[in-house]
Amino acid sequence: MASKTKLEGQNTAPPAHLAVRGIHKRFGGVHALRDVDFEVARGEVMALVGDNGAGKSTLMKVLAGAYGADEGAFFMDDKPVTLSSPNDASGLGIQIVYQDLALCENLDVAANLSLGDEPVKAGWRFLPRLLRPLDALEMEVKAREAIDKLQVRTLQSVRAKVEGLSGGQRQAIAIARAVGTESTVVMLDEPTAALGVAQTRQVLEVVKRLRETNHAVVYISHNMRDIFEVADRITVLRHGGNVATYTTADTTPDAIVVAMTRGLDDEGAGNAA
Amino acid sequence: MRRDGKMTFLDRFRAMRETQFGAFVPVLLALGAIWGYFGLALPAYDVLTGEAESFRAIFLSPRNIYNLFMQSAVIATLAVGITIVLLLGEIDLSGAATAGVCAALLGVLVLVGVPGWAACIIVMGVGILMGAFQGLLVAYVGIPSFVVTLAGLLGYQGLMQKILPTGNLNVGDPFVRGIARVLIPDMWGLVLAGVVVVLFALASLRKQAQRRMKGLELDSPLVLWGQVAAFGVIVVAVVLTLNAYRSLPLLLVLLIAITALLGWVVTSTPYGRSLFAVGGNPESARRVGMKTQRIRVSGFAIVGLMAAIGGIFGASRFGSVSYTAFAGGSLLLEAIGAAVIGGTSLFGGRGSVWNAILGALVIGSLGNGLDLTGASAADKLMVSGAILLLAVAIDALSRTNTGGR
Repeated sequence: MASKTKLEGQNTAPPAHLAVRGIHKRFGGVHALRDVDFEVARGEVMALVGDNGAGKSTLMKVLAGAYGADEGAFFMDDKPVTLSSPNDASGLGIQIVYQDLALCENLDVAANLSLGDEPVKAGWRFLPRLLRPLDALEMEVKAREAIDKLQVRTLQSVRAKVEGLSGGQRQAIAIARAVGTESTVVMLDEPTAALGVAQTRQVLEVVKRLRETNHAVVYISHNMRDIFEVADRITVLRHGGNVATYTTADTTPDAIVVAMTRGLDDEGAGNAA
Repeated sequence: MRRDGKMTFLDRFRAMRETQFGAFVPVLLALGAIWGYFGLALPAYDVLTGEAESFRAIFLSPRNIYNLFMQSAVIATLAVGITIVLLLGEIDLSGAATAGVCAALLGVLVLVGVPGWAACIIVMGVGILMGAFQGLLVAYVGIPSFVVTLAGLLGYQGLMQKILPTGNLNVGDPFVRGIARVLIPDMWGLVLAGVVVVLFALASLRKQAQRRMKGLELDSPLVLWGQVAAFGVIVVAVVLTLNAYRSLPLLLVLLIAITALLGWVVTSTPYGRSLFAVGGNPESARRVGMKTQRIRVSGFAIVGLMAAIGGIFGASRFGSVSYTAFAGGSLLLEAIGAAVIGGTSLFGGRGSVWNAILGALVIGSLGNGLDLTGASAADKLMVSGAILLLAVAIDALSRTNTGGR
């Protein structure tokens, strides 16, 4: 039945933008990922769910290049690619928003959005790039565009320091930073975990905007209500292996919870099919 | 922006400190209070109690202001350097000892006949190496900077004693002495001040025009012109005061020029941005691909360079190099105190090199004022300690995370 579900999912699914096949990852004696397949298409929100220790974060870090996979193949638009470092990942347009966001609270929104890739003024070629004058205005223009694209309405000024912003605004800025760098795949790790109701709503709106702008979104969460609101498909992991991939419209939160906690039928660890 | 409409006094204070020039306000207030106390309140009190026959503002006399600036210049030079490592969230305890080694080396070099300018360049290079060496230990070996630079403090103090077994050496080289002795003629000092103010005003206006063109949020005209006016008044007043006694000394022009260059690098280049990023959130800086270890090393190298320059300034002003004037004296704590009193956070990621100069003036004014009133060394130490504590308390309170609520 597991393979049947998968097959149905793939028949109706849009062509994958990023796909991985047969991923294995071991940490010493721990086999964290066993033969995992995963894919996400453009203009789609793919939820990645599983109980604690199911391998969600490990899989995400493999996709982000933070961990090298022991075995497995990576494809972008059906072309095989290598992915073994964070630089490879960002070169392929894969961006990740970690749970801790990694924003510099002492800097303003515009500075955070262009951090590490600050625009510099033309000319000044005799100086090393690090010492050329910043184009602060260009930075603000870009930040404004990025924020407007995601329609973060509550943010008044891109010159506000991040430490003065709410949790939802910070999440939105972290997402805007990931999207701003010509990325096509955006992975979000528990973006609503620490947020209240209104803040969560704001972040979910941003995630929907990402789908409209034709990004491939990987959405990791524990919250079934959020997942059923934004996700198009749901990949369930358990004990480091695939359980199944569901189309959100054809399933229920209860079925997902059962798949997360018990797997399918008596099939225990991983997807042997 | 605020989570609730109400703003407590602390919130307002924090918000003010976030603005470009608001960060100067606390240290300017402190400076104003100290100058007011020593310059106006104490003489007035003396007149009232009949201790003095007439009102004599010795502290605020051009002669004393001149000396005050010169006394504070070495502290300021070191404080500007230390600000860079404080921005990174590190600390450098070895700055004064580095300055001492560099000054001693300078003295020995000119004694054996090396031309003054060459000796200055050599010791600046040595300062960079001494700083970078400590930076390598911090960044690549992973020893906390407090420990590395404490070891550096001891080691460099010893090194200075090795170079100067007698503990004292006169420096007579005309080039080195000239840095502190050469005065800019009154007229040229005013012209220089005028040019700087006009450039500042033009740059502000140009930026505002560009913001309007690109449709970005504008600074209010009041703030814009207020900044230009305040800047102009301060610059012209300083030059006129110095002219009233002697003239603008080359030493101060060099200090301001170096600080301006460093200030520009810190606020307006990708490198400066990376200093703030590493100090604010090293993990974030690493993830966006900044080479955090190299940035740390470079920060310590800059402290080494500024310490060497401080050593040259000190040797030039005193006309001699002595152990107590640098490594063995209170210079180190005064320099760190100046940076912190200026508003640079010990927690990293917040601060400005300009504030370090104002902080150095605060420290210098305290020492100078207490000397004039005949206070004992014990009084001076206790008052300086209290001021430093106050400055760090303000720093802690103005951090959003640790502030009350």
